[in-house]
Amino acid sequence: MNNRKRIVWILNNLIWFLLLLVVLLFALLSDRFFMPMNLTNILLHSTVLGILVVGQSFVLITGNFDLSSESTLGLSALLGAWLILPKGAPTFGGGLLLSPYIGIVAILLIGLAIGWFNGFLITRLKMNNFIVTLAMLLMVRGVMMPITAGNTMARLPDEFKFLGAASFGPIPVAVIAMVIAFAVGYIILQFRPFGRSLYAVGGSPDAALAAGIDPDRRIRQAYLISGVLAAVAGLMLAGRSGVIVQNMGKGDIFEVMAACVIGGISLNGGRGSMFGAFGGVLLLSTINSGLSLLRISTFWIEIASGLIILIAMLIDSQKIRYISSQVVPLTKLEKKPSAEAVSGD
Amino acid sequence: MVASDSPFVVQMQDIVKMFPGVRALDHVNFELKPGELRSLVGKNGAGKSTLMNVLAGIYQPEEGKIYVNGQLIHPMTTERARQLGIAFVHQHSQLVPALSIAENIFLGNPLTGGSGFMAWKRLNDEARKRLNTLGLEIDVERKVEDLTVAEKQIIEIAKALFANAHTIILDEATAPLPKDEVNMLFDFVRRQSQQGVAFVYISHYIEEVFELCEVVTVMRDGQIVGDYKVANLDQAELIRLISGTRVEQFHRESRNGSGKTVLEIHGLNRPGFYQDIDLVIHEGEVLGLTGLEGCGKANLARGLYCLEPLGKGQVVLNGKPYHPDEPEAALDAGVAYLPRDRHGMGIVGMRPVGENVTFSILKRLTSRFGLLDTGRERKHILSFVEKLGIKTPSVNQPVEFLSGGNQQKVVFAKLVSAEPRVLFLDEPTQGVDVQAKVEIMKIIDQLSRQGVSSVIVSEEIREMLDVCDRILVMYNGAIVAEFKVGDPNFAAEKILMAVEGEREAL
Ligand SMILES: Nc1ncnc2c1ncn2[C@@H]1O[C@H](COP(=O)(O)OP(=O)(O)OP(=O)(O)O)[C@@H](O)[C@H]1O
Ligand SMILES: [Mg+2]
Repeated sequence: MNNRKRIVWILNNLIWFLLLLVVLLFALLSDRFFMPMNLTNILLHSTVLGILVVGQSFVLITGNFDLSSESTLGLSALLGAWLILPKGAPTFGGGLLLSPYIGIVAILLIGLAIGWFNGFLITRLKMNNFIVTLAMLLMVRGVMMPITAGNTMARLPDEFKFLGAASFGPIPVAVIAMVIAFAVGYIILQFRPFGRSLYAVGGSPDAALAAGIDPDRRIRQAYLISGVLAAVAGLMLAGRSGVIVQNMGKGDIFEVMAACVIGGISLNGGRGSMFGAFGGVLLLSTINSGLSLLRISTFWIEIASGLIILIAMLIDSQKIRYISSQVVPLTKLEKKPSAEAVSGD
Repeated sequence: MVASDSPFVVQMQDIVKMFPGVRALDHVNFELKPGELRSLVGKNGAGKSTLMNVLAGIYQPEEGKIYVNGQLIHPMTTERARQLGIAFVHQHSQLVPALSIAENIFLGNPLTGGSGFMAWKRLNDEARKRLNTLGLEIDVERKVEDLTVAEKQIIEIAKALFANAHTIILDEATAPLPKDEVNMLFDFVRRQSQQGVAFVYISHYIEEVFELCEVVTVMRDGQIVGDYKVANLDQAELIRLISGTRVEQFHRESRNGSGKTVLEIHGLNRPGFYQDIDLVIHEGEVLGLTGLEGCGKANLARGLYCLEPLGKGQVVLNGKPYHPDEPEAALDAGVAYLPRDRHGMGIVGMRPVGENVTFSILKRLTSRFGLLDTGRERKHILSFVEKLGIKTPSVNQPVEFLSGGNQQKVVFAKLVSAEPRVLFLDEPTQGVDVQAKVEIMKIIDQLSRQGVSSVIVSEEIREMLDVCDRILVMYNGAIVAEFKVGDPNFAAEKILMAVEGEREAL
């Protein structure tokens, strides 16, 4: 019966096998794949995605969604920059000219505020989390438009760009930040009472309540984490690109969800680990960079991304089915009905 | 269905079913005649549910054959089982919570009245009519999620009966039911069996087995021990067959303890649920709280643990006012609660046994930097698994894969872990086998010796007599009688009378 354990183990760590496979595949197809440039690119692409995924994982484990995080990313970065940049072209700020540090604090506060509002609507007013965060996704993005009249903000100060653009020697700060985010997330989920109680909340809110865990409070906290990390991702992305555009981060949520699910975080709540989610992020980034390395048109990249999401969902559903059914060994399933049996009608 | 000469409606031959680490069924033979009332008993994890799951097509056996009305059915699937007239009423509800009773009853064959639209009025009328034939007067438009466990069970049993089943499996169907409804159910089951419907009745209530059935099949460790005529057995003998050894009946001498007051309630009122509750619980005391379903006893316990509003009144714990606003605060104050609805509130099914044991005490298991000391946690878990005899292949096994009784022990481990001063136990022996019942009684007794007070909220008066010092009876929201167990002029019959609300008992 060790077989079953092995299968479950492989299913739980499938992501790393997939990553290995994809890396080997691209290495075969392109001799530039293992060049330091490309590897750094993969990591850099992972950073913003990774920060978003860490926040999303907390929410998903409680059995909720946060679809709004890509908009939170955009609005917080935009508002933060608006506070510090001069009016008019080419910066298009608010002319308040506050210190960049205040701008950074404002970014984090905006992330917290949006996370708080999500949690408030979902737990206090008992609204459906999917719909609430979907509405926030649209509204928060909409709010961005009038602030800069659709212009691109440029000339961000260096303090602002530190997280996204600076590096210690050869290692970008963003990569370090992402790795720290995953490590801290991992430790919180595995070893902090708070993190462990999130699994109870996602597994069964009623049982969590009876065990002295307030599910609503945990859910609110998860949204706060997701909100603030989305803001951090916003700061990072702004720093990396050096400008802030209206559609910054737009559409990222699909990749975020895909990375979480491929990484083994169940959309039904109660299952998954940061380690797996990290693998999911690396896998997606690798595929992304590999495909562009092969000069495959973006349209194929989008198809590939869609396919990967589908495959991820398939794996998720099959894994849960496998784990919860604990069915007969696979060989038995192939056995044909015997001749004397009554055939089904 | 083809008529056949087979004297059996159901025949299972040489069934083998493996689970990781366990041979849940080991060459089991099981036969059932039409209209038979058969009881299936055995310890927790003996394989009763598994055998019936195989019969109902939920699990595929590794070996063995299943005949229904003399015909070999291979493979048996849930679909085929239903078509063939085998219905399974599970340990926990399989109804759709968001739908009404009427909708649940007609789930799968909606009445559209020919127009293609749901004929709501006809649906409700028809559902009401059918339930009336079972002697049930229920508002069929209520949502299932608003029903009590008892009501859900009744609807589920009714639904199986409406589906024209000839073999109905009741897997601990009565465990969550109040006594008067059990009687109603039994009357109903007997009537149906006279019409030719066979029943398999799984239960840990030995008295019920004797009351309802003629033949009892005993299982142990995945094998059949034998079929016995109930007339030739007594309870002690049956218990011995079930456990394979002698199980000494647990009996605790009622004691006075230190007499120190731990919890004091004065004039507690919650309109519609209970009134004028005055109650004193002493240190190390085991208090029984009984009464009919809906008498308010469960609401009182849940209220004191903040799972529902408590109402107005004075509550004092250890000399200090007790006004927790959430279960966590109640736990911190030293009050713990074992829920009646194990699947809904007791366990987090998908999470491992170990995590379930420590969910309530994570804060206490931290060391430096507020991180969990996993070594200490593991030790704690293992010690409880051993102490309570939890049967599981590993502490990493998701709890939902344990047998019912072992799940209950996990819940108990979680409670006792929190080192409470006062324990509220809502039907604590539900779904627990005779031996484990005794073990649970022993745990309660041991806790009482350490000064922990327990309040057992239950309708199992017989069990309460074995462990309680005092038994309070509630009727219509008021405490109407108090009995001191071991009093010279104490009689169990008086409790039964008080439960029914008869004044002479007082
Ligand atoms: N889905 C499953 N996966 C793994 N093991 C299982 C599964 N279902 C049952 N088992 C194991 O098979 C054995 C028999 O379990 P079963 O549920 O049939 O016991 P039972 O007699 O119904 O007990 P109870 O009275 O506690 O309900 C137990 O050891 C149990 O842990
Ligand atoms: Mg069972």
